[in-house]
Amino acid sequence: MRVVAVIPAYNEEKRIPSVIRRAQQYVESVIVVDDGSTDGTARKVQELGALLIQHGENCGAGAATMTGIEAARRLGADVVVTLDADEQHDPNDIPLLLKPLEEERADIVFANRFGPFGFAQGKRRNHIPFVRRLFNAVGNLVTFAVTGRWVNDSQCGFKAFGPRALREVQIRMSGYEFCTEIVRETVRHRWRAAEVPIKVLYSEYTLAKGQSFANGVKTALKILLRSFLR
Amino acid sequence: MSLTPYQIVAPVISILALVYAWSLVLKQKKTIWEAVLWTLFWAAIAAIALFPQVLDYLAFVMGFKDRQNALLITFLGVISFIVFGLIVRVEELEQRQTKIVRSSALREAGLQEKKQE
Repeated sequence: MRVVAVIPAYNEEKRIPSVIRRAQQYVESVIVVDDGSTDGTARKVQELGALLIQHGENCGAGAATMTGIEAARRLGADVVVTLDADEQHDPNDIPLLLKPLEEERADIVFANRFGPFGFAQGKRRNHIPFVRRLFNAVGNLVTFAVTGRWVNDSQCGFKAFGPRALREVQIRMSGYEFCTEIVRETVRHRWRAAEVPIKVLYSEYTLAKGQSFANGVKTALKILLRSFLR
Repeated sequence: MSLTPYQIVAPVISILALVYAWSLVLKQKKTIWEAVLWTLFWAAIAAIALFPQVLDYLAFVMGFKDRQNALLITFLGVISFIVFGLIVRVEELEQRQTKIVRSSALREAGLQEKKQE
């Protein structure tokens, strides 16, 4: 099974090297889509031997993810794992995400930051700030309203696409709405979905980089309107 | 019961819109959930056309004084809907631009799409 990691990145020169290095331990190749960064992200990616694809201008996380998925398809990948470039996701969790695909139980695997993770004896929960939990709950509700499918962590960028999902997925939304669109694709193509609890690393940096409330509202409205007018 | 032209045209348009929406479901371009939302919307349009007294109930529930006010508010809703539709169209233009940026990025990385022979 040829596994490729896709990392959309925007101005992440400080964080991306460690994400690439750790991801390379678990996948055959790493594709980084530099979404119009103005810092040294592209240089760092090239130094580490990952495949760099550069957007001429900033198009959004959804567009960058789809570019990466398209590149992986053209390179003959069987499975794609998408993860954030800001160290929020731990690449050591990649094998956990791949397991349901290897066992042919799922076509797509969603990471879940809110479930208990770790071994049976020592399961722990992530310490996620209340505001983040609230935003994600709203995101889940909006996603459910437009797709009819409940996913415990619909807005997490850490996912694994099996061969069928990789072949069929088509993301049209450029911004953060793409996470909801992937759930919609899951319903539309009737993929088998699995959810895997993961650990998440929130820092002041990742919190500052996250979506603002106004952006969240805008994203929710876009999703609702699009699903209705499509 | 005599029907006005509007009472004939509105339900016919609703039926056509519903047939179109569900045909998109069969072609897997729309999800069942989205088609259900469309069904509710067009059913409401047809119901208001055929049974205008529904607006009296709406006026009562929403606290409007009479049916005309309720109708005005309903049309404001429809106009908002059209404005949002235009916003979506603008976004589609943005999407086209994004598509160009994406394909150019893939081409520059040496991953252009192979043409089918």
